[in-house]
Amino acid sequence: MGQQQDHGEQRAGHLAAVPDAPTDRQDLDGLLSAVGRGDEAAFGRLYELTAPRVYGLARRVLRDPAQAEEVAQEVLVEVWRTAARFQPGRGSAVNWVFTIAHRRSVDRVRSEQSRADGFRRVAAASGHTPYDQVAEEVGDRLERHQVRRCLDDLTELQRQAVTLAYYGGHTYREVAQLLRVGLPTVKTRMRDGLIRLRDCLGVEVSS
Amino acid sequence: MTTVDVHALGGAYALDATSELERVAFQRHLSGCEACRTELAELRETAARLADTAWSVPPPGLRERVLAEVRRTRQVPPAIPAESASSRRQVGWGRRAALAAAAAVLVAGGGIAGYQTQQGRVARERDAAQVARDRTAAIEAVLSSPDVRLRSSPVRTGGRLTVAASAKLDQAVLLPSGLAALAPGRIYQLWLIQGTTPTSAGVLPSAPVLLSAVRGMAALAVTVEPAGGSPAPTSTEIVSIPL
Repeated sequence: MGQQQDHGEQRAGHLAAVPDAPTDRQDLDGLLSAVGRGDEAAFGRLYELTAPRVYGLARRVLRDPAQAEEVAQEVLVEVWRTAARFQPGRGSAVNWVFTIAHRRSVDRVRSEQSRADGFRRVAAASGHTPYDQVAEEVGDRLERHQVRRCLDDLTELQRQAVTLAYYGGHTYREVAQLLRVGLPTVKTRMRDGLIRLRDCLGVEVSS
Repeated sequence: MTTVDVHALGGAYALDATSELERVAFQRHLSGCEACRTELAELRETAARLADTAWSVPPPGLRERVLAEVRRTRQVPPAIPAESASSRRQVGWGRRAALAAAAAVLVAGGGIAGYQTQQGRVARERDAAQVARDRTAAIEAVLSSPDVRLRSSPVRTGGRLTVAASAKLDQAVLLPSGLAALAPGRIYQLWLIQGTTPTSAGVLPSAPVLLSAVRGMAALAVTVEPAGGSPAPTSTEIVSIPL
């Protein structure tokens, strides 16, 4: 554990040097384009900027650290493999990377689910990983606070619908079951919840 | 319930919270809905931001393993439009790719219908276009039906056949992909099997096919037959899928 702590601090120190949100995002677009041209150094930098979130997201969805690690590795290699298809005008690099990361995590959940249908992932959606001693979160970051604040702005049902799906890896049918509401309601809450988040976060897509 | 409001699926789609078939149906819907594409792009962007709250220190060694794998992984060129998903590890991705290919075929089919509409100088052609549109809508209804079941199987001679069946609608959609070109004078013939008796369901084209009255059928199968078809199969099936 002591070793892990040291490791964590070392990483945290390194990551604290990561620039703030806007630069981060523009950097990522440029980096991903460079990665698409086979630039391994750019990939190394992209790794620094995205791996903690890719692994963190996989871990949040899957809960199992070993599986999360496998998925994170697959995702990051996939980002390298397909980077040339990234088109900056059609969405951000953040979107590119985390769309892959989320879909892969969810794919893993669904393939696992056929074997062990369970409730063990339900707690994952609460936003906490209670047993999470090793994987400490990194410093206080503006973006994270912004997302949390905007999530708090949603209605309870919107927030639960969005977070159970995104962090819990549930289908909307499962979410409807968990929240004891009808399917049309859940679909609507997911959509208007995301729209409200979009407005709160000021997300825009330049076309 | 024969139709699902596909448009309302946008939020669930952006959160990866739909079934695979709903994904296909929604993608199909997107191809004809500019406003939906714009909204979805924004919702996707928004969903991706949710990852911001999920920071976690990656395990030691991950970086080295990723960089090592990257060094021996060839990148795909930019021009390739279709996701050539890695079938290495996960069945799910192979299946997803099959569905994506199926969706692409559907979109291509829609394109043909649109082209026919533009060409519609005579009523007969307009009727044909209308039939094509109705057919596309019927296919979409099956794909977005809540009870739809998906089965997929490789075809012995190459390619893949995916079947989406809805018991409620008593219909099934066949989505062939990557079938091998046949020698001249040969066709793929489709059979519905009731008990053990095959009944011809016509020639299998390369585009999606809508089959009605599938209830009670045990399976469907495809054989290679002489052009014009055979009253009964004259060769062993190259793919067979239980219904």
